[in-house]
This record gives sequence, C-alpha cells and structure tokens, in this order.
Amino acid sequence: MVEVTSLIRATFLGLQIGMTLILITAGLTLIFGMMDVINIAHGSLYMLGAYFGLVLVQFTGQLWLAILIAPVLVAVVGLVMEVVTLRPLYGRNPLDAILLTFGLVILFEEAVRILWGAQVRLIEAPAIFDGSVDLGIIAYPSYRAFLLGISTVVVLAIWLVLTRTNLGILMRASAHDAEMIDALGINVSKVFTAVFVVGAGLAGLAGVLVGAQQGFEPTTGVQVIIEAFAIVVIGGLGSFRGAVAGALMVGLMQAYVAIIYPTLTELSVFVLMTIVLLVRPTGLFSETTVA
Amino acid sequence: MAQDTSTTTTDDGHRSVSRRSVLAAGGAAGLASIAGCLGGLGGGGGTVKVGFALPYSGTYSLLGQSITNGFKMRVDQLDGQLGGTEVEYVQKDTEGDPNTGATATREFLTEEQVDLIVGPVSSAVAAAMAPIVNSNANAIWLNANAGNDDLVKNCVTKYHFRTSFSNWHPSAPMGQWVYDNLGERAVMTYADYAAGQQYVKNFGETYREAGGEILTEVGAPLGTSDYSPFLQKIADTDADVVYSFFAGGDAVNYIKQFHQQGLSEQFEQAGGGFLLSADTLPAQGAAAIGKYSILHYTPWKESERNNQFVDNYRSAHDRIPNVYACQGYDSAQAADAAVDEAGTDPDSMIGVLEGLEIDSPRGYMKITEEAHDPEQDMDVRQVVEGPDGNPINQVVETLGRKKVPWTCDF
Repeated sequence: MVEVTSLIRATFLGLQIGMTLILITAGLTLIFGMMDVINIAHGSLYMLGAYFGLVLVQFTGQLWLAILIAPVLVAVVGLVMEVVTLRPLYGRNPLDAILLTFGLVILFEEAVRILWGAQVRLIEAPAIFDGSVDLGIIAYPSYRAFLLGISTVVVLAIWLVLTRTNLGILMRASAHDAEMIDALGINVSKVFTAVFVVGAGLAGLAGVLVGAQQGFEPTTGVQVIIEAFAIVVIGGLGSFRGAVAGALMVGLMQAYVAIIYPTLTELSVFVLMTIVLLVRPTGLFSETTVA
Repeated sequence: MAQDTSTTTTDDGHRSVSRRSVLAAGGAAGLASIAGCLGGLGGGGGTVKVGFALPYSGTYSLLGQSITNGFKMRVDQLDGQLGGTEVEYVQKDTEGDPNTGATATREFLTEEQVDLIVGPVSSAVAAAMAPIVNSNANAIWLNANAGNDDLVKNCVTKYHFRTSFSNWHPSAPMGQWVYDNLGERAVMTYADYAAGQQYVKNFGETYREAGGEILTEVGAPLGTSDYSPFLQKIADTDADVVYSFFAGGDAVNYIKQFHQQGLSEQFEQAGGGFLLSADTLPAQGAAAIGKYSILHYTPWKESERNNQFVDNYRSAHDRIPNVYACQGYDSAQAADAAVDEAGTDPDSMIGVLEGLEIDSPRGYMKITEEAHDPEQDMDVRQVVEGPDGNPINQVVETLGRKKVPWTCDF
C-alpha cells in the first residue's frame, strides 16, 4: 500500500518539518539550559515573527526583506523582555519565571488581537514558490525545498557557533556552572542576554518563514509552544543535540504516520514523549541534570 | 408608555418579515400580540430579554462577534425593538467550551430569565445546552450557527430553532452537482471531528447515489497546521475532484498547501462553504482561485435584498458581512416575528416560528415545521479574482430550497 516514492516524499517532508522546528526548539532549550528559565512565551516570539513579516511584506512586497528584518525586530522584543522582566527573576524559584512568561503569552496574544484582529493571516509568498521542483524520483513543493535549505543552513551555523567559537564554549560553560564562569571574571549576565536575544531571533525567523506557508492567528503562540515543549522534553531539556534529534524525530514521525494512519498524527508526538519520559525521564540527550 | 408609538412604527411595514401573518393561525396570533403589547409573559416587565451564548474569546471570537453584530443591526433597524417591545441584551462568553456554555445557558434560564437564547457557534457547546433548554422549557433557542446534524436528527428539544444551517446543507446537495460538473471520481479530505465526519458522510452518500466513485478519504486532526503529510496520500490517486471540509485557520492552511503542492493543476477542488469563505479568502489569496464551494449565504450574491444588507453592514462595521453576520441578522428577524405575534411566551412563539418564512439576504428561507431547521437556497460558488484583484466568491448556480430529510414529532 505504501509505495517507495511515498516514503521518499514523506522523508523529505519530515526532514523539512524537523529542521524548521529546530529553529524554535533550539532557543527554547538553550535558554532553559543556561538560565533555568522555562520560557512559555517562546511560541509568542515565533508568532510575532510571523506578524512582523506580514507587515513587512505588506509594505515592501519583499519576502526576502521580511526574512532578514522580522527576526531582528523579534530579537529586539526579546532583548527588552529579558532585560526588563526576566533578569530580576534569575536565581529565584523557576515557577516565578513560568508565571511571568505565561503572563507575557497573554499580553502578546491580546496585543496581536488588538493590532491585527482575530482572523487567520498568511504572508503572501512570491509566485516563484508556487508549484514544485523536480527531484528526479519525486516532485517536491518549491517553498518546502527552500525551507529545508534555509533551516539546514541556520541549524549548521548554530552548531558551528556552539562547538567552534569562544562564544559557544562560553555559553556551554555558563550552562554547566554559571557561578564559576562569573568568578572567572566573565559577565555572565551579558551572555544570558545574548543567548536570549539570539533564541528570540531564531523563533522570529521560524515565524516569518513558516508564516508564508501556514496561517497564523493570535493563539498560534500557544499552539506552537506545546509541540515545541514536547520536542524539547523528548530530546532532553537544555540540550542542543537533544533539540535537534527530538525535532527531526517528531518531523519524520509526523510525515510517516500521516501516510499510514492520519488520525494519529498529532497524538503520535505525545505518545513518543510519554514513552521517552518512562524510559529515560531526563530525555534522550540530557546534558545538564534536571534536578 | 412609549410602547403605543412603537407599535405603530413597527406596523407601518418597513420590516421585512412579511409573510408571517399568512402563516400563523389568526386567532392565536391576535391573542399573542395582545400579550406582546402587555409586555410578555415569561420575561421582565415590558422588555424582551435576549441572551447571547457565544464565544467572545478564543479561536471563534470573530464568529461570535459577527453573529452579535448581525443581530444587533436588525434590532437597531427596528428602533431597538423586537416585535414592538424594547430589547435587553445579556452576553455570556461560552469560550467555545461545552461546560462554560452549559453554565451560561443555566444562568440565562434561571437567574437572568431570558426570553430568547442566541448561539452558540460550536456544536459541542450546542450539545451541552440542549438538555438544559429542554428541561427549563422557558425560552426559545435560536441556533445561529452550530450545524451538527444530530441536533435535528435526534430532535433534541422543541425549543430549538435553527436560523443557520445543518451540516447537511453544505454537503449533501453538492453530491449531484459535483458529479454532473466536476467529475466522476473523487477523494475526500476533512478535519477529523464531528462536523468533518458528517460532511464527508453526507456528500459521499449523494455523490455515490449520483453514480460517482469515492477513491479514498483522508481525515486530518482538527487544528493541523501542516497538511502536506496528508496531501501526499491523495496526490497519488487519479481522482477528478477533491471534496473537503475545513474551516477557519484549517481552511487557510489546507488550501494554501494544496496549491503550493501543485495539486490545483491536478484536481478540481470543491467543499463546504467554510472552506472558501469571506473570512478565509483574504489569507488564501491566489491559491483559492478556481475552487468551488457551497453555502447558504454569499456576500457577493447579486440580489436587491442582499445588496441592501451588505451596504448597511458595511456602513456599520466597515467590512462586508460574513455568513455568521447573516445568521445573526436572520435570528433577529425570526425573534421579531415571534415576539410580535406571540409575545414572550415560549410555547406560543413555537407556533409562530414553525413554518415561518424569513426575508433573508441569503435568498429563500423558511424554518420548517417538521425539523425546526431551515429550508433554504444553497449557492454553489467559484472563487474568481474580484475587481480590486482580491479573490471573491461568484455564485455559479443556486440550488433552490434544500432541507434536511429528517423529521421530528415535537
């Protein structure tokens, strides 16, 4: 029943879904890993990216410009959010940060509703993205090919920064023992801000990229964060490798389950999460111990 | 005091529910209108109390607001009155949640003592409301959107009147039309919950009766944002046409991704009207062009009655009315006729509403005696590029006077 071409197509699709999800889960997991902050408003930053992209495309007509500028705008929102609201809460009970970011979710949702209304919006993609590219064995939707490409490049770049640069080493070190890094004379607070801003920017990038393919509305932030959390839990909270592996697993699984038994597609993510939690309660790739 | 003048204002005939006096039994109507002038039997003194059980927050808030807008617009045209009686509104947010909706209904019927309940949007909320309305038996329920077939099939309560549609309307009548016009082999895609399942069941039945073949059907979970995994399944078939049920954000994503996947060239796309509606078309854009849908109200329909409704709505709300606004508007027309002839006694109002013809912007509309459900014209529409370049629904054919095949013995 399931043919080889269907499987190949599902694999490409799953890879793309997974790669794009990493843009969201990477920031979420790094922010938790370093600051012990569970940022429930991370999905809202994704949503803001989509709305900023919408406005930019409406005014300039250039999706490319929106892809470049919207993430920067979201990063600025992230900067303000970190400095003004989160910074005073570091070192306090993690529940405080959860409550705060939950409040921000409501704030962002209502703000978006007031500014753009409750109806579903979608960014108009250039006509060159209509239709498919021929990959020999299968035809693949052009915009998805673009998404797969750009997401892969960005994910590779994050990985290189984390493993090959001083900043990356500093980030990983701060995640392990922020106090010691502070004692060594490094301004940990600045590293935190930098990570938060970059994480916000990545979520914004995902928002504008996906916003040209999937509709978004004020409740999108909440919908996104639930799936993103499931992925991060599967991969191991705080682990970048975990976020990558979790997102790819979830993306591929969704694509395969949809051609075999469509009804279970959405549920499958949470079934996987439950199994992982039972077998490995800290997730597949946990680096920091979640005490 | 002010009621005497108001009765004359409303009797001068600028209202559009004109056939009611023919339909209602003369004697009963006479008695009832006296009761109406005296200020009603069930409600507070001298007013008719309308309770909106609608979602004002969450995904469906736009729908709830549109229904409210439509209803209030009609009442405003009647100088703030229904059947010559001053109107008092109570709003409760159902949040689209059955429990919240049930609580709101209970409060409406016991504490607030409303005469009419208008709502809800969600069929799950409607199912929770039905037993409460039935057991309290002290108000008329104007169902201004929830389309679940079971509400009518199971004859939930005699106080329930649909001023909107059954899921049957935008599904079953299209089977024959699709077979005649779009092709003999179909696949069906749908949002996998009660409404979606009813749409494909109804359509599948009439399409097969017409001689068509259903090759496969694919249900995607409600709220799916990425339909590509599901679309893979239909891409490999040699069907002529895809029939679908999706609504709101799902409809936007589905149509957009269907098009991006190149499937617009491979298949004709048809569906229930919510697939391609005034609310979703702006976001669907060029991807929607050429696709077919069927619904009981089309804002772009050319008729004097509709043009007038659209103009009024546009000047009040600065946008064209959607189907929900029309349903709210017609609910107010039904309420006006009922209160005018029967006052606010719910059992008397039933007599007026059964068989009531409503001069609706949608076209022909009558609330049937046997199902308390509309008999109405259904428009088959195709999305075309409008004068300003934005996609609009153009009526291709109107399938006249469709009503559900089920009957109740109330």
